[in-house]
Amino acid sequence: MVRRPRKYRLRRLLLGGVLGVLVAGVVLVGLFYIYVDHVVTQQFQGRRWTLPAQVFAAPLELYVGAPLSLSDLTAELARLQYRARDKLDRPGSYHLQNDRIEIALRATRFADEMRAAQTLSIAAGARSIEVLRDSGGHDLPILRLDPLLIGSIFPTHGEDRIVVTPAEVPALLPAALKAVEDRKFDTHHGVDPAAVARAMWIDLRSHQIAQGGSTLTQQLVKSYFLDSRQTIGRKAREALMAIALESHFSKTDLMNAYINEIYLGQDGDRAVHGFGLASQFYFGKPLGEIELSELSLLVAIVRGPSYYDPRRHPERALARRNLVLKLMADLSVITPQDAQSASSRPLGVTSRGAGAYYPSYLDFVRRTLRRDYRDSDLTQEGLKIFTSLEPRAQDEAEQTLDRELTRLERSRRPTNASLDGAIVITAPASGDVIAIVGGRRVGYSGFNRALDAARPIGSLVKPFVYLTALETHRYNLASIVQDAPVDIRLPNGGHWRPVNFTHQTYGPVPLVRALAESLNLATVAVGMDIGVTHVAQTLQRFGLERAPAQVPALLLGAVNATPVEVAQLYTGLANGGYRTPLRAVRAVISASGEPLKAFPLELTPIAQPDVVFEVDQMMQQVIERGTGRAARTVLPADLVVVGKSGSTSDLRDSWFAGFSGSHLEVVWVGYDDNHPTGFTGAAAALAVWSRVLAGLGTTSWSAATPESLTDVSIDYLTGLQLEAGCKDKNNDAIRIAVPVSTQLAKQPGCVGALEPGFAERVGERLRAIIHK
Amino acid sequence: MMRQVLIALLLVVPAACSLTRGARNPAAAAASSEAAPADAEAAANAPAPPAPTRQYHLSGAASALVTQAHARAAAGDYPAATATLERALRIEPENPLTWIELGRVQLAAGNAAQADNMGHKAVALASGDPNAQAAAWRLISDALRVRGRNQEAATASARADTLAPH
Repeated sequence: MVRRPRKYRLRRLLLGGVLGVLVAGVVLVGLFYIYVDHVVTQQFQGRRWTLPAQVFAAPLELYVGAPLSLSDLTAELARLQYRARDKLDRPGSYHLQNDRIEIALRATRFADEMRAAQTLSIAAGARSIEVLRDSGGHDLPILRLDPLLIGSIFPTHGEDRIVVTPAEVPALLPAALKAVEDRKFDTHHGVDPAAVARAMWIDLRSHQIAQGGSTLTQQLVKSYFLDSRQTIGRKAREALMAIALESHFSKTDLMNAYINEIYLGQDGDRAVHGFGLASQFYFGKPLGEIELSELSLLVAIVRGPSYYDPRRHPERALARRNLVLKLMADLSVITPQDAQSASSRPLGVTSRGAGAYYPSYLDFVRRTLRRDYRDSDLTQEGLKIFTSLEPRAQDEAEQTLDRELTRLERSRRPTNASLDGAIVITAPASGDVIAIVGGRRVGYSGFNRALDAARPIGSLVKPFVYLTALETHRYNLASIVQDAPVDIRLPNGGHWRPVNFTHQTYGPVPLVRALAESLNLATVAVGMDIGVTHVAQTLQRFGLERAPAQVPALLLGAVNATPVEVAQLYTGLANGGYRTPLRAVRAVISASGEPLKAFPLELTPIAQPDVVFEVDQMMQQVIERGTGRAARTVLPADLVVVGKSGSTSDLRDSWFAGFSGSHLEVVWVGYDDNHPTGFTGAAAALAVWSRVLAGLGTTSWSAATPESLTDVSIDYLTGLQLEAGCKDKNNDAIRIAVPVSTQLAKQPGCVGALEPGFAERVGERLRAIIHK
Repeated sequence: MMRQVLIALLLVVPAACSLTRGARNPAAAAASSEAAPADAEAAANAPAPPAPTRQYHLSGAASALVTQAHARAAAGDYPAATATLERALRIEPENPLTWIELGRVQLAAGNAAQADNMGHKAVALASGDPNAQAAAWRLISDALRVRGRNQEAATASARADTLAPH
């Protein structure tokens, strides 16, 4: 008796409890749903993906006479992922026939204008473009190719994406996604109970939660609102949120959100989100241009971007891509024939590191922009940044550096450390930085030597010592200076006794030879005469930001600078005495195309053009007769270039800096740990410098002699003026310019010792008369 | 003194008949204010006409860009005009005419100091082409006048007229 009521009570209690829990559960779920619904609509309504700024290279200019061969053009089109076709079809393709190429250009946004898609026809010879016409057969004076997308500025460990509108999405993509991921997408209300049951059954049997069974909406919720841990509670929340989303938004809206949201790959710190970026990341072209085989691969990757990574696991990716194609054919999304032919295609994924990814350059761009923009502007506002990068020059520089360093290492005893280097290339007239190589391992955003390796510049300082000397008007290029032992007493009581690299002395030498052969003692003699302070001031005038220590050793380059800073210093020499700030960024525009900021060209006069011309002439002899003459075996015979080598004590740093008519290039080679390299500037850096320059297809340095100067011939070894009657027995005659009224000592024993160039001029006059 | 006159004569006489390298110097004589040119003028009894040793012109591509830049500048869009001229400059960095055009846009945009610098840069590049040099000096003159430096502007303008009379 006692037990029955107790049992009964227990049963009632249990029943009541269960009921209570149920009711409470329903209420809770209900409340939770209201909460979730609120969260989902709030966040999703005003959804706005944070858009990392996109960074573009300089567009290639096409015009009659542009130094581009047909193969240069097809290489550039390949970089831009234009497809070669038998017949011109949609934008993004080209057709090559004999010496003629037809291009269907994409619609393109430039910094200063928007251009509609159009076709053009080009005929090119071995060296340059000969004909440039539009589709109507009219000659075009000039036209730009698309600017290459070279990267984006995304937050650290952050998402990167290119948002696409439904119009930019190939119609097949939503169909393929539905076929593979969610067949009932068009009809379900956010969850697909049958699919969930199926997935649960498989999960139960395998004792783990692995099977998807998620609708596209659930996947979207998971990516947009939740992290990726899979627990039962999370699954429930995901399902509720999916239902809530479906009740407020259209299927088209959700599909487009999915296409822009979903995670599709990893690139170091950068998470690749959305099909727009994935198409660029895997195929290097806009989503609208991908083909069936490529589209299927992207859909295949959705299931596991790491597991099906087409670059690391091509077999898996290929198998799954073909499965996707089969599924699509089974559901009649595509024909079996199309599936068959797409299945036979290779993956078609671009190789990473080869082109279109230049972390050293992007690093410079980012630092430039940090001065004007907050991080969040750059990583969220969808800015478009147009830079001066020339992919052709950048590729050339990267490849040459690695190749030459490998060659140099083979010529030496093997060491544990790896020889490294940096290259900066600019267009000195405008200050445009066209290439930056921050190290040998390109494609890795590690230590950027071009920007951060501040090293002693050694003899690279000498042109500024001589420039300062010429500015006093007490020196000219033929002035005799003494290359003899010097002993300088330092303020601390010590002595400074520099030596020449060869440990020899050369006695009286003309200024031009002292620079060409980089004679230390002669340079110190000149520098001490004009004053270290003035040399330091010259360096600052030319753009050195930190004031150098005013010690005698400054005359031999005891001042640290990075390759980019050296490029800035030498810009004034390459640009006729004008400083132009180096710039990587030309313009920034907003996501809607509004110009935000331009970085226009600026000139600041910092030295007299005639003095700079004289220094440049001395540096020309560096290449012709001095420490840079090895360049002559690499460069075209008729190409005039100027430059200067630099080495530091114990050969820890090997430098070469110089320029042609259109390019300025600085090369540094050394070890990161400051270990001696065993190479002079002439041995290592020059080898890289000259080969890069030869590969750029550059123009000669051809500045006109300023009107305050006159051309004369002198003997390179003695500095004595050679007149018309003087025989140049040892091939030592060089042409230099000196101030018009300069009296030079003349080579004895020659006829016609009247006035500078008299006999020569009379000869010219006579010839002119005879020829008339 | 005799020697200077002799030098000046030697420089000027060949220039009158030939367009070779040596002829660059008379232009120097005409453009600079040193003693020699004055003597040269006295000796030759007439102002030395600058003898062109080269003549700059814009390529088809550059001149198309210049035309586009003019249209943009006329519409008041100086940044776009500048961007267009910088494209021309990248194609022909050593052509003084591109620098003059860029300087003109700078001047119109109210940046007279840059216009002045670009004019001087063009003068240096135009060595041997009196017409281009004159155009550069006219730009410098206009830039100086905008900055209220009328005396210097007049000197620059006179220099232009000596090189290439209107």
